[in-house]
Amino acid sequence: MGSPLSLKRSKQGDHYYFWVGVFFFIVIGVALSLYFSARQIDYTWRWYRLPKYFAYQEQVEIKAEIDGEAVSILKKSKIAVVQVKGLEGTESYTFPESALKIEEGDTIYYGDVLATYKKWRVGILLEGLWLTLKVSIIAIVFGILIGLFTGLARISSNPALKWSAITYIEIIRGSPLLVQIFIWYFVLGTLFNNILAKHGIVQIPPLWFGVAALACFTGAYVAEMVRAGIQSIHRGQTEAARSLGMTYVKSMRYVILPQALRRILPPLSGQFISLIKDSSLLGIIAIRELTKATREVVTTSLQPFELWFVCALLYLVLTFSLSMVLQYLERRQLAI
Amino acid sequence: MIDVKNISKTFISHSTEVKALVNVTAQIDPGEVVVVLGPSGSGKSTFIRCLNYLNVADEGSIIIDGIDILDPKTDINKVRAEVGMVFQSFNLFPHKTVLENVTLAPIVVRKNPKEEALKKGMALLEKVGIQEKANVYPDQLSGGQQQRVAIARALAMEPKIMLFDEPTSALDPEMVGEVLDVMKKLAREGMTMVVVTHEMGFAREVADRVIFMDEGAIVEVGTPEHFFKNPTHDRTKLFLSQIL
Repeated sequence: MGSPLSLKRSKQGDHYYFWVGVFFFIVIGVALSLYFSARQIDYTWRWYRLPKYFAYQEQVEIKAEIDGEAVSILKKSKIAVVQVKGLEGTESYTFPESALKIEEGDTIYYGDVLATYKKWRVGILLEGLWLTLKVSIIAIVFGILIGLFTGLARISSNPALKWSAITYIEIIRGSPLLVQIFIWYFVLGTLFNNILAKHGIVQIPPLWFGVAALACFTGAYVAEMVRAGIQSIHRGQTEAARSLGMTYVKSMRYVILPQALRRILPPLSGQFISLIKDSSLLGIIAIRELTKATREVVTTSLQPFELWFVCALLYLVLTFSLSMVLQYLERRQLAI
Repeated sequence: MIDVKNISKTFISHSTEVKALVNVTAQIDPGEVVVVLGPSGSGKSTFIRCLNYLNVADEGSIIIDGIDILDPKTDINKVRAEVGMVFQSFNLFPHKTVLENVTLAPIVVRKNPKEEALKKGMALLEKVGIQEKANVYPDQLSGGQQQRVAIARALAMEPKIMLFDEPTSALDPEMVGEVLDVMKKLAREGMTMVVVTHEMGFAREVADRVIFMDEGAIVEVGTPEHFFKNPTHDRTKLFLSQIL
């Protein structure tokens, strides 16, 4: 199948390259004007400061916790195990062999450094990125489940199901996500955790209220897509399935939903990309996702320009990968 | 086999009532081929769709193989499994291959083992002359081929009755023959069939009885010889004069 573009004249005139030039002129122009306006306020770009927010090396010191003597040092596949025997008993310390600072038979006092070595640590930005990814994936999974169920309830003839679905969808779609997050955290969260506290059960951390807010928000939109998708499948499909003796559930499961899901995949992927971006709002309830993490780094490093660009770029990496995955799924399904 | 007594059906669209069926009574014996004729809007399709509950008759009774399908306690899915239906617009499942279309219901409804269903499915595709297309998707088939697959799909449930709702009306003229041939073969094998069609040749050649409907009511019932040569009612005569 040819794309709509192929309807155009195949021969590209001189104007084409002129406008390609204009495009690059605009891109470079924006970049340069940004650079020079930053110079105006004496902003110093320090890109080299950024890597440590992704990963850094931490100095680790292992100190003795008792007085005594290093009775034995066992070295095995680059790991050293030191036994310190004191009056109160024996303590054992494990660390990389190269970090060793003492020898067998040394007298050890409390607080002596037995070993020092450097260890790679995940930086705050990478942690934030991981949390954003985690929150988004969990919310997408639950969003699909909620949306599927609500979408089916929405077209049910049972008024309890149908009206519940409509009420839920309208409330969620008609109010801002930010307000919903506040309600989940400050209202529902307080209520839940109070009840849990009364029964002596562990509190639910804010993360889960954030995930719930995102999942319910996405679920309402997915529900409408599922409904539209199902209704777009020709009645004859249901009739054919039912005439073969399939129950409602079986005809949905084997005939209608596979076709409907295929149709709603493109709008669905848009919704999931929105969800990843909307997860940036979760910072306000103390979830240190990518945006919150960036904000924290900005306050300590005073490099807002670089950091916000990097933050945007990281979101772009997430959304772009997701859209690639979904496009692959779409193509694979259409290939039949 | 099929015992329909005094069924009526009224559709309400845009607050106007359309009487699709008025007091229809009919009996169809095992092994009988009954062709339902009539002008468009005469209620033929509603009649045949009522027989497997795709349309629900407002009143009257429909007994299929001893089971009252209008009784709320009846498991309609069990009845439908015994009554095959072929639609005007084929309604094949576009996301499944031809063979999967045929084997889906035996596997998920009858719970037949997969190998057995596949073997039977291939045999049925052979019977309708389309076995070489077993692994293609329906949109790669011509209309006539699609309708033959639809017949095989219905037969895979080993139904006691087959309903055909204008099976050739959506086909290009040159493909009508191949579908009718399959239906004739089925009739010769003794299948109980109810066929709504405009194919007079098929009615004349294959039907044991012809039911003529107009304005939601059965006007005349008789053998094809009676119906085509000596119709009693004026409405029937008018219809025949218009189409022949």
